[in-house]
Amino acid sequence: MNGAQHILDAFHRHGISTVFGYPGGCIMPLYDALVDDVGTEHVLCRHEQGCALAADGYARASGQLGVCIATSGPGATNLITGVANAHRDSIPMLVITGQVPSGLIGTDAFQETDVLGMTLGIVKHSYLVDSADELAAIMDEAIELAQSGRPGPVWVDIPKDVLLASAPARSCEPEAASAAKTASATTDISEAMTMLRSARKPLLYSGGGVSLAHAEDSFREFTQTAALPSVVTLKGIGNSGKHSAHHLGMLGMHGSRAANRAVDECDLLLVIGARLDDRATGKLDTFAPNARTIHIDADAAEINKLRSVDLALRGDLNGILQAMTTEFKSAPLAISDWQTQCRTWNTTGGFSAADNEEPLAPITGPAFVRQLSRIAPDDTVIACDVGQHQMWVAQHYQFDHPRHHLSSGGLGTMGFGLPAAIGAQFADRRSTVINVAGDGSFMMNAQELATIRRYNLPLKMIILDNQCLGMVRQQQELFYSNRESQINLDDNPDFVAMARAFDIPALHIERTDQIRRGIETILAYDGPMLLHVAIAREENVWPIVKPGASNREMIDETKKRTTTAQREHVA
Amino acid sequence: MNPSTQPANQPSTPSYTLTCRMSQEAAALERLCQVVRIRGFKIARMAVESAGEHLDIALTLEGTRPIAMLQAQLLKLHTVAEVVLDQGALARSLRA
Repeated sequence: MNGAQHILDAFHRHGISTVFGYPGGCIMPLYDALVDDVGTEHVLCRHEQGCALAADGYARASGQLGVCIATSGPGATNLITGVANAHRDSIPMLVITGQVPSGLIGTDAFQETDVLGMTLGIVKHSYLVDSADELAAIMDEAIELAQSGRPGPVWVDIPKDVLLASAPARSCEPEAASAAKTASATTDISEAMTMLRSARKPLLYSGGGVSLAHAEDSFREFTQTAALPSVVTLKGIGNSGKHSAHHLGMLGMHGSRAANRAVDECDLLLVIGARLDDRATGKLDTFAPNARTIHIDADAAEINKLRSVDLALRGDLNGILQAMTTEFKSAPLAISDWQTQCRTWNTTGGFSAADNEEPLAPITGPAFVRQLSRIAPDDTVIACDVGQHQMWVAQHYQFDHPRHHLSSGGLGTMGFGLPAAIGAQFADRRSTVINVAGDGSFMMNAQELATIRRYNLPLKMIILDNQCLGMVRQQQELFYSNRESQINLDDNPDFVAMARAFDIPALHIERTDQIRRGIETILAYDGPMLLHVAIAREENVWPIVKPGASNREMIDETKKRTTTAQREHVA
Repeated sequence: MNPSTQPANQPSTPSYTLTCRMSQEAAALERLCQVVRIRGFKIARMAVESAGEHLDIALTLEGTRPIAMLQAQLLKLHTVAEVVLDQGALARSLRA
């Protein structure tokens, strides 16, 4: 076997069946080996960034490892944004790149870049392979590492001569991937229970770590048993399901008034699988000022990183949640006053945009998303891009599972949605997958329409087109004296004609009475279809907290001024 | 800031001494230094000794962020086996 065949052999041994890639000079030995390979589906995207983001979407939707492949030089550098995206959101990913032959490294050879050096800050680990003899072992280690503990991207850079060199077949089976099984001591869980029982206003704050730990079911049982009022981060959306009586929605910059108010008032914060990101906490000094904190996380480096905690639990999240659920079953919390208060706040301060009943009225983003949420099947996967539409989806779409909501959280990568939706569709060819994009984001990876057509993926694309970079325009309006700068996109292409140029049918709507029919039409179509939705340029995302400000200082839609904790609106 | 304009009573930046053992691998030191930099510390002194398959690294660092945060981030590196803070040096730094 040569080095390239060792890579494919590792795919087979680890059950990797789908990879996203783009060929080129130094990775050609691997593409040559693919010709004779049985068992690996290679998806040819139209740009390496599309490959990386599709692998990311595949991993998010499936819970499995995402794999992307590119050549050296520009192939590798084009992957970088997608890999950084996976790194920031702890997505398990294997990145394989060809490199110039060993003897040419450091000679400024054609398509040579120092990939190892330039990607150090965006990978969980990386390898430059010296010899074909070590390739199989490195592949096993890389695949295990990407998925274990706190997941992340692992990059394997392989010189062309190593891909071509012969090496003996691997003689032993790889060790199974090991999750963080070092459960917290029983005494820690007991101490957490003591803190929870002594609190009068405990609040559950969960994030993307729940699904990363494959703990969705344990978490759901825990929340139903504990009946704690709860808030989520952007990546935690769906953790509590769509029917939780005690759930207050997303917190933070575009969070609900109810969620931010509950954080402000709580006396104990139970943080599960979240890293207290600045978009969620706002100004840290004023975040949950009255609360003691229990932090459960797989990553020791997240404990006390931004907020000193009173108790930290690390290890297998499933085990911890199951142990705490057992405790709650035997003795429920007595917090009925707090539960009632939070429900009241949720009634008056949850996300609620009134639907415009006027049939000829222009479409608004929130109204469209609410209709989409009502019409789309329960198990629909929504892959968002980044911007106002992303926040409208986070606020107004009712998700029943965290893997149904694919959103670029940490990096905020415009152009994420379309390739991520492709990855999600390959994760399950029968599922309903919808990319909800803005007009700015859609143009960032529009070349992937060709990928959708090539593989006849039935995914649906929705562009909420406000003819501008809406989130930037909104912040310029609110925080830069309405001095608009480089946000105008009114020379967008005709998106309907553009889709048709890729042999993908498309519809345009612009009035409220066209929403339902538009959504139903694309969902009923047996193939890819695009819905272009014209929305008002001036529409803003409400509420909003100024970057760096306290979550108490949410800016209200009607008053467009800073208030204090929205007390008069929420109380 | 021009040194001449710096207030005389401005506290000096805390200094720490860390010893670190990590695997010999491509870009090992770059990997370590990248984490030190991005987590808010400057390297004032660095000594490296090769010990078989390992590198032993002694670092004198300056920074205002909690040193425990940097220790935790360094320990996340796959090839880092050990990070030890020299408490004696820390105490001397705090007294200075």
